[in-house]
Amino acid sequence: MTVTDTAVVEKRTPPSTPPVRRRRSRAGRTPWLYLAPALVVLAALLAYPVYQLGLISLFRYTQAQVSGGEPTAFRGFGNYADVFSDDQFWQVLASTVVFAAACVVSTLAVGCALAVLLTRVRAVPRLALMLAAMGAWATPAVTGSTVWLFLFDPDFGPVNRLLGLGDHSWTYGRLSAFFLVLLEVVWCSFPFVMVTVYAGIRSVPSEVLEAAALDGASQWRIWRSVLAPMLRPILVVVTIQSVIWDFKVFTQIYVMTNGGGIAGQNLVLNVYAYQQAFASSQYGLGSAIGVVMLLILLAVTLVYLRLLRRQGEEL
Amino acid sequence: MKLPTRLAALAAAALVVAACAPQTSDNSSSDTDDKTGTLRVWLFQEVGNKPKEQVVDSAVAAFEKAHKGAKVDVEYIPVDTRAQRVKAAFNDPKSAPDVMEYGNTDTAGYVQDGGLLDVTEDFGDWSEAKATDPTAKQSVTVDGKLYGAPFYVGVRALYYRTDVFEELGLHVPKTMAELATTARKIRAAKPELYGLVVGGAYTYGAMPFVWANGGELATGKSGSYASGIDSAAARKGITAYTSLFSDDNCPAAKCAGMGGNDTITAFAAGKAGMAIGGDFSHTAVEAGKVKGEYAVVPLPGVTSGSIAPAFAGGNNIGVLKSTSHRTLAVQLMEALASKKTQASLFDAMGFLPTFTDVRDQAAAKEPFVKPFVQTLTAGTKFVPASPAWSQIDSSLVLPTMFQEVVSGKKDVAAASAEAAKKMDAAFGSVG
Amino acid sequence: MRAVRGLVARPWRFAAEACALLVAVVVAFPLYWMVLGAFKPAGEIRSSEPRPWTLEPSLDSFRRVLGQQEFGRYFLNSLVVAGAVVIASGVIAFLAATAVTRFRFRFRTTLLIMFLVAQMVPVEALTIPLFFLMRDFGQLNTLGSLILPHIAFSLPFAIWMLRGFVKAVPEALEEAAYLDGASRTRFLWQILFPLVLPGLVATSVFSFISAWNDFLFAKSFIISDTSQSTLPMALLVFYEPDDPDWGGVMAGSTVMTIPVLVFFVLVQRRLVSGLGGAVKD
Repeated sequence: MTVTDTAVVEKRTPPSTPPVRRRRSRAGRTPWLYLAPALVVLAALLAYPVYQLGLISLFRYTQAQVSGGEPTAFRGFGNYADVFSDDQFWQVLASTVVFAAACVVSTLAVGCALAVLLTRVRAVPRLALMLAAMGAWATPAVTGSTVWLFLFDPDFGPVNRLLGLGDHSWTYGRLSAFFLVLLEVVWCSFPFVMVTVYAGIRSVPSEVLEAAALDGASQWRIWRSVLAPMLRPILVVVTIQSVIWDFKVFTQIYVMTNGGGIAGQNLVLNVYAYQQAFASSQYGLGSAIGVVMLLILLAVTLVYLRLLRRQGEEL
Repeated sequence: MKLPTRLAALAAAALVVAACAPQTSDNSSSDTDDKTGTLRVWLFQEVGNKPKEQVVDSAVAAFEKAHKGAKVDVEYIPVDTRAQRVKAAFNDPKSAPDVMEYGNTDTAGYVQDGGLLDVTEDFGDWSEAKATDPTAKQSVTVDGKLYGAPFYVGVRALYYRTDVFEELGLHVPKTMAELATTARKIRAAKPELYGLVVGGAYTYGAMPFVWANGGELATGKSGSYASGIDSAAARKGITAYTSLFSDDNCPAAKCAGMGGNDTITAFAAGKAGMAIGGDFSHTAVEAGKVKGEYAVVPLPGVTSGSIAPAFAGGNNIGVLKSTSHRTLAVQLMEALASKKTQASLFDAMGFLPTFTDVRDQAAAKEPFVKPFVQTLTAGTKFVPASPAWSQIDSSLVLPTMFQEVVSGKKDVAAASAEAAKKMDAAFGSVG
Repeated sequence: MRAVRGLVARPWRFAAEACALLVAVVVAFPLYWMVLGAFKPAGEIRSSEPRPWTLEPSLDSFRRVLGQQEFGRYFLNSLVVAGAVVIASGVIAFLAATAVTRFRFRFRTTLLIMFLVAQMVPVEALTIPLFFLMRDFGQLNTLGSLILPHIAFSLPFAIWMLRGFVKAVPEALEEAAYLDGASRTRFLWQILFPLVLPGLVATSVFSFISAWNDFLFAKSFIISDTSQSTLPMALLVFYEPDDPDWGGVMAGSTVMTIPVLVFFVLVQRRLVSGLGGAVKD
C-alpha cells in the first residue's frame, strides 16, 4: 500500500526539475496578470462591502440613517457591547457551533460515500442518483424546507403514517426539531459534495485504483490511503465551504421551525441576526454580529489549514 | 505561522481607515410640484391579481381623464419583497414611486425612515374621509399626523363547524369562558379534532384574549410608549389564551409552534371544531374539506353578548416624500383609496372597505362578511404607532412569550415580565 | 486483469447499484411531493389523508404561475444572469486558479483566505454597501446589478475548487508543451483548460444554481423596473403572509427546477470524461 502511495504522489507532482524552478522564481508579473480580473471584481464587490461592514458596525446605522432621515452617530464598540451583553447571543452561538458541526460532518460523510458509490455503478443508476441529487440541490431553499415540513407534519404528512408514529410532532422538542432541519440541510447540500468529490475521483488515474483493488484493499482502505490524500485539495475546499454555509444556515431554520422554534429554542446565529437586527433595519447591530461571525469562521478556517499544514499538506 | 499576523495587520489597517462614516443617501423632500408627467405607483401583487388590475385600471383611466397631461404607471410588486423594495426606494429616490401601497403595521417605521409624506391637511380637506373608520385612520397616524389613506382592512373572527355543533348539540359560545368549555366538549366527543385550534406563534389570534380582558400591548403616546403586556389584566388574557394549549383542546406539542396560517389549514382540512381566522382566510377554507359545513361569528368577549376587540390589519396608500408631483400624487392616492374604488375592490377581491358606509353596503350584499363587519363596528385595536413595533414584531417577543408559557418553560408572570422588558428596551432604543 | 476484477466485483456491483437506486428514490421523494403538490387541487395539498397520488390532477397552479405578467421575460432574464455568471466566473476563476497554483509569490496564501472572507458574513449585511455600489455604478434596476455581485460571490469557491484541478495536472505536461514550442497563452487555453473541464463543470453547476435561485439581490437591486426581474420574483408572489398559495409555490418551484436539471444533463457528460483519460496518455 505504501508503495502505491508514493507512486501516486510521484505521478501527481513529479520531483521539480530545474526549468520549473526557474520559472517559479522569476514568476514576476505573470501571476498578477492572471489574477487581475479576479482581484478587480473581488476588491470592488467583496472587499469594499466587507470594509463598509466593519465601518457600519461602529455606528448607529438604521434605515432612518441610510435614507437620510436621521444623521449617523458614531457608537464606538457600542453595538458589540449590545451583542455580547445579551445572554441569548451566547446560547445561540453555542447551539450554532454544535448544529453546524453536525451538519458538516453528516453532509461530508453522505456526500463522499455516495461519490464513491457513483464510481462503482453503471450509467443508469448513476444518472438516476445524480439527477435526484441535482433536483435536491436545485430546489429553492424555501420550497425545499416547506416540502420537508409538509412531509413530517403530524397531521398532514405521510412520514408519520409510514413510520406509524401517529401524530408525533417533530418540531416541538428541541433536539428533534434540530434533527429534522439537519436532515433537510444534508438533503440539499450533499449533492454539492457528491458532485465535486465525484469529479475529483474521476480525475484519479484508474490504474491506481485498480492496483489498489488488486492488492485486496477494502473500500475503506482505498478511500483512506489512496483517494483521500489525492483528493485533499478538493476535500479542503468542500470542507471549508460546508463549514461556512452550515454555520450561516438560515432559510431551513427560519422556515422549518417557524423563525427559531418554540420560544426560540432552535435559533442559530444567522436567524438571530436577522430577527434582532436586519428585519428591523438595525444595520449597525447586524454588522457587529456579522463581524463576530466573520472572525469565528476565519479562526476556524485558519486552525483547519494549520492542522493540514502540520500533516504535511501544503496550501 | 505568519498568516494570522498578516491578516491581523490587514484588519487593523481597515479599522484605522474607519475614521470616515458609512454611506448614506439624501432623501429630502422634493421642492418641485409638477402638474404634468408620469406618476409611478406600486401596488401589491396578489395571487389572483387580474381583478385587482381591472379595478385599478379603471380608477387610473378616470384619473388620467380628469388630469390632462398626467400619466400613471402602475407596477405590482410581490408582498414578500416589500421590505427590500421600500427600503431601496427610500435609498434611491430615482427608483422610488410617487404613490405606494403598504402594510398598515409598517406606517410608523416608514415615517421614521423619512419616506412618507405628511398628508394631514389634504386628508382633512378630502370630502370622503369623514366616513373613515377610526381604527383605520389610527393606522395611518403617527404623532397626530396622517401619512396616507386607508386602503382596506382585514379582521379576524371565529370560524366554527356547523355539522359538529349540530351533531353534539352545542350552541355558539357567547363568552370567552364558554368558548373554552365548548372547545373542550368538542375534543372530548371527537378526540381526532382540536376543539379550538390555537397557535403559539399566532400573535393576532392571541391578542383579542388580552384586549377582551382589558389588557393592552402598550400604553402612552407617540414616542414614549411603555409596555402593558405584564399588567394584571393582560396576564389574565395571556392565561386565558395559553390554557387552551392542553391535551383536552389543542395539545402543546402540536399547537405551540403553529402560526395563524397553520390553524386555518387545520380547520380547512376538517381537523378542528373552531378556529380564529380572517376574512382573507375565506378562500382557503372554501377550498378545503369543510366547505359548506362551517359558519363565522364575531369572537365573543368576556361578558355575554360582547365582542372581543380584534386586530385591524390591512393596507394603506401613501405618497412618498421624494415625489416631484405632490399635488397630483395626493389626488391619485385619494382616487385609489376612494369609496368607489374600495367598493369595486370588495366586489373583485373581497377586500373590506375602510369607510363605514361602504362597508355596510358590502355586508348587505355579501352575508359572509357580516360577522367581520360586526367585529369592526364593535371596535378594533391597533399595534403601537412606534417604529419600535417592527423590532418587537421581527424579534418575536410576543410569540416567544406565549410559547414559553405553553411549553412550561416559564409561568405567565415571568414570561410577560420578560416580554415587557424587551418591549420597553425596543421603545427606548428608538426614542 | 479486467477479467479478474469483473469476477470479484459483480455481486458487489449489483448491491452497489441497488443501493444507489434506493438512495435516489429517497432523495427524489421530496421532489416528487413538490411536483405532486403542484398538480393537486388547493384543498388536497395539506389534507388529513396524505396520499402519494391525486385523483383530480389539475393544471390550475401552473396556470397561475405561467399566467403572471411577463413570466417569459423573467425566465429569459434569469437565463441571461445565470449564463453570464457561469461564463464570466468560470474564465476569471480559471486564470486566478492557475496563478495561485502554478506560481509562488508573496501574499499567495493570504489572498486565498481573503477570497473566502466575504462569504463568512450574513449576506443581508452586505446588501446595503452593495446597494450604494450598484447605484454609483449606475447598475440599479438592470441585470448588471445581479450579474456583478453573483460573479463576485461565486468566484471564491470557483478559484478554490479549480485550484485542486489545476494542481492535479502534471507539471511535466507543461514542460513538454513549452519544449514543443507552445506559448504560455496556448498552453493555458488549449492544454490546461480542457484538462480542468470537469472541475469547471462542477463549479459552473454551483454558480448556475446560486445565481438562478437568488432572491435577495433580485429583491434589493431590481426596484422600479419589473421587466428586469428574475424568476424567483414570480415565485415570491405566492408567499402571501396570511394566505400562502402552496399550489402556486410548488408549481413555481417545479418550473424553476427543470432548467437546472436540463443544464446539468447538458454538462454532466463533461464531468464523467475529461481528466481521468487525459492523465493516462
